Amino acid sequence: MGDAATSTDVLIAEVASHVGADAVRESTAVDFVDGVRPRLVVEPRTQEGLAAALGWAASRTLTIGIRGGGTKLQWGGPVSTIDLLVLTGSLNVLVKHRYGDLTATVEAGATLSSINAALADHDQWLPMDPPWSDRATIGGIVATNDSGPSRHRHGAPRDLIIGCNLVLSDGQVAKSGGIVVKNVAGYDLARLLTGSFGCLAVITSATFKLAPRAPSSRTVSIQLESISEMTPVLARLANSSLTPSAVELEWPPAMVHVRFESVETSVDQQSCEVMRLFEGLGTVQMTGTDDESHLWERYARHWDLPGTLIKISSLPTEVVELLVWLQETASEHDVEITVAGRVALGIMEVWLSGSHGAQARVVTKLRARFSEGEGSAVIRQGAASLRQQVNPWGPASNALPLMKRVKQQFDPSMLLNPGRGPWGI
Amino acid sequence: MDKVFLAQLETIVGADSIVRDRAELATYESDGLVKLRSKPGVVVLPGTADEVQRVVRLCHEHSVPFVARGHGTGLSGGALPLPAGVLIVMTRLNRILNIDIPNQRITVEPGVMNLDVSKAVKSEECYYAPDPSSQVICSIGGNVAENSGGAHCLKYGFTVHHVLGVEAVLPDGSMVRVGGSALDNPGLDLLGVLVGSEGTLAVVTKVILRLLRKPASVKTLLAAFESTEAAGNAVSGIIAAGIIPAAVEMMDRLTIEAAEAAVHPNFPEADAVLIVELDGAAAEVTALFGLVEQVCTDAGAREIQVARTEEQRARFWMGRKAAFAAMGRVSPSYYVQDAVIPRTKLPEVLGRIRSLETESGLKIGNVFHAGDGNLHPLVCYDDRIEGQADLAQQVASEILTFCLDAGGSITGEHGVGADKVDQMPKMFSETDLDTMQRVRCAFDPKHLCNPGKIFPTPRLCGEVPGPYRVHPVEAAGLADRM
Repeated sequence: MGDAATSTDVLIAEVASHVGADAVRESTAVDFVDGVRPRLVVEPRTQEGLAAALGWAASRTLTIGIRGGGTKLQWGGPVSTIDLLVLTGSLNVLVKHRYGDLTATVEAGATLSSINAALADHDQWLPMDPPWSDRATIGGIVATNDSGPSRHRHGAPRDLIIGCNLVLSDGQVAKSGGIVVKNVAGYDLARLLTGSFGCLAVITSATFKLAPRAPSSRTVSIQLESISEMTPVLARLANSSLTPSAVELEWPPAMVHVRFESVETSVDQQSCEVMRLFEGLGTVQMTGTDDESHLWERYARHWDLPGTLIKISSLPTEVVELLVWLQETASEHDVEITVAGRVALGIMEVWLSGSHGAQARVVTKLRARFSEGEGSAVIRQGAASLRQQVNPWGPASNALPLMKRVKQQFDPSMLLNPGRGPWGI
Repeated sequence: MDKVFLAQLETIVGADSIVRDRAELATYESDGLVKLRSKPGVVVLPGTADEVQRVVRLCHEHSVPFVARGHGTGLSGGALPLPAGVLIVMTRLNRILNIDIPNQRITVEPGVMNLDVSKAVKSEECYYAPDPSSQVICSIGGNVAENSGGAHCLKYGFTVHHVLGVEAVLPDGSMVRVGGSALDNPGLDLLGVLVGSEGTLAVVTKVILRLLRKPASVKTLLAAFESTEAAGNAVSGIIAAGIIPAAVEMMDRLTIEAAEAAVHPNFPEADAVLIVELDGAAAEVTALFGLVEQVCTDAGAREIQVARTEEQRARFWMGRKAAFAAMGRVSPSYYVQDAVIPRTKLPEVLGRIRSLETESGLKIGNVFHAGDGNLHPLVCYDDRIEGQADLAQQVASEILTFCLDAGGSITGEHGVGADKVDQMPKMFSETDLDTMQRVRCAFDPKHLCNPGKIFPTPRLCGEVPGPYRVHPVEAAGLADRM
């Protein structure tokens, strides 16, 4: 831990001179990050305050943790140490909604649902629906590049971000990109920071392209006897020219939900067409406007499941075979699995329950099936003991040395979110 | 150049794949931005990724700078060679390596031409979405370097949204794989920064692209307006109605006349035309197309032509895509500008461009990807008249200032290259540029890979200041110092 010799009171007095006395305090039980207790906590009200706090921390070589809504604190690599925990919660303003341009600039500490409530005034939204939108902040969602069902149509945060303001670990403030949707001036640091788990810099605000809200939506669900019956369902969907906004699998029981969002006539026509397409394959049900929101609210509850959450990515055509294998392997090890995910994209969220040793063996066997670039299994959320037995990120990428050089350039003293970034960088 | 070095280069690529003759070198002295010229020290045309890697490694060993080049259609001098450097021409790496229709992936070498990707999967009802106007000749490697857009990126995004993975040779000669055929490869999103890095971070030798299924329905209209302002209002009206068209393109009178003279698309006589294309599910396209027609009428469209056949649609697009080249019909020389504004600022910025036209005495044609605010003003001049070329350059630069004032960008798709290096400080602070160059230092600390592009002042990539100390993360064995 940096500067252990200096008393916490002295440190608090020092940082208070930068951010104000009411924005700094000693840590309490609520401030633990992945089992690690920070020494002190700041909650800057401005980007300048945040930058000053980081600049001060760098001068004292203090390690920094960053916390938004605190919904994903157990994601990523195990945190090794935090001297100063920076809360982004007071940077929570919708800076600008340029509705005519379909863009918005938002501060990092704002929750996704608060932003989307404001954007709804003009029938627009930031088209992301990752877990816990009412608590998860823009900064945390970007830092983990997290997504939900809407990724099928709108992409992940990295596809929507067009610019950002960032603070480096030494307190310097920089920007990348801009407020226009098309822009190739300079390196795209906003994309580089997206999914970096806060290990390169702190994003203080970001600009995104938005989407209009669709006037109508409907979901067609098909339930199957077993997961292996899903192959023709997915093949027929892939070969059609239907334009669903989401294609989500859940299992068990084996179901696929296909959502359409558009004008009424199109939603109507496409949901009828997909029902015809699924004829004879399983039990098909159409859910209209009112009940539909219940269906998706129920679906979102899987994110609250306890246990280990791993994210599997594979080629879309390999998902079913992979899941069949996974269930057999898991049951051999007395591990239970629950699955949900963006099946047409090959992205699956899998919850494991069972002993950590057994889970570690299942994850290791799963990873052995993939060659580099053709699939991965990352432990998103898991107990520290599991993440110590098996690397949360999987086998090191062949580009890891390059990633380490990027880290060294951005955060040479390795102060930011130590341990949490990919492979601990 | 050093004789030993040249001999080693020749050993790698073979005697028939190296160009040293002064006259032959002239072929490579510029890309699509012909005003910037520089003869390369030597040109090599490797035939395999392995040869590319060996060439780069040799350059690294000898600290010789190098520039990779595709088909040379870039418009910012991004492939401008160096007199003391090697130009690596990638056109012989032009194989399609794998087509995976069920997963909608295609793996290609960088020299494959953009349109050839779509052609290769046409029979499977698939296509590759990014469609720069130069798509019949530009290469995928160049598209990756520039993060190329095109008319259809309003709805479908840019190259960065369609590249899933690359294999690339780093400036030290090592080979990395970034991304892959599956999504979300763990680790930093190096792909996100490599795409659009204008050939300054690595030389790409293999690219995995995402394919899209052809839409069930496509409808295109051409609407003629009395003024660019009226056409601009129609664009705003379409977006305000919650419609994201596949493309919204605008041309003004001068560019319409030029296109008419060159390829006879039979556009109506007007001060501005809009081409609006919707695609997707049939019922959606039908419903929204009616809405678009209404918006155009309300905004004062005098005439609306709806493409009834594929030939008609192709005619609309021929007129649009020929616009740059067609300017040669109405002006001896012209300077193509590329800038972006928030689309709601269109009337304001167009007004300023009109005033500038009057003040400077130079005609300015305007072609835009109006949907995403990407302007392509064409500044016409006569290089036989002394001083006009410089004046055109000044006018083009002034237009960039208007765009920045409106909150825009100095480039939407052509890149900074060598052309706009001096404009970068107008858009970014010293700290912004320095922060970007931290990436450069991680990839290319010796500044060998396409130096002199993008950044006005190179960042020194020396030792990072500060005393070394064992970090707790290292002590815990969770990471090691690089």
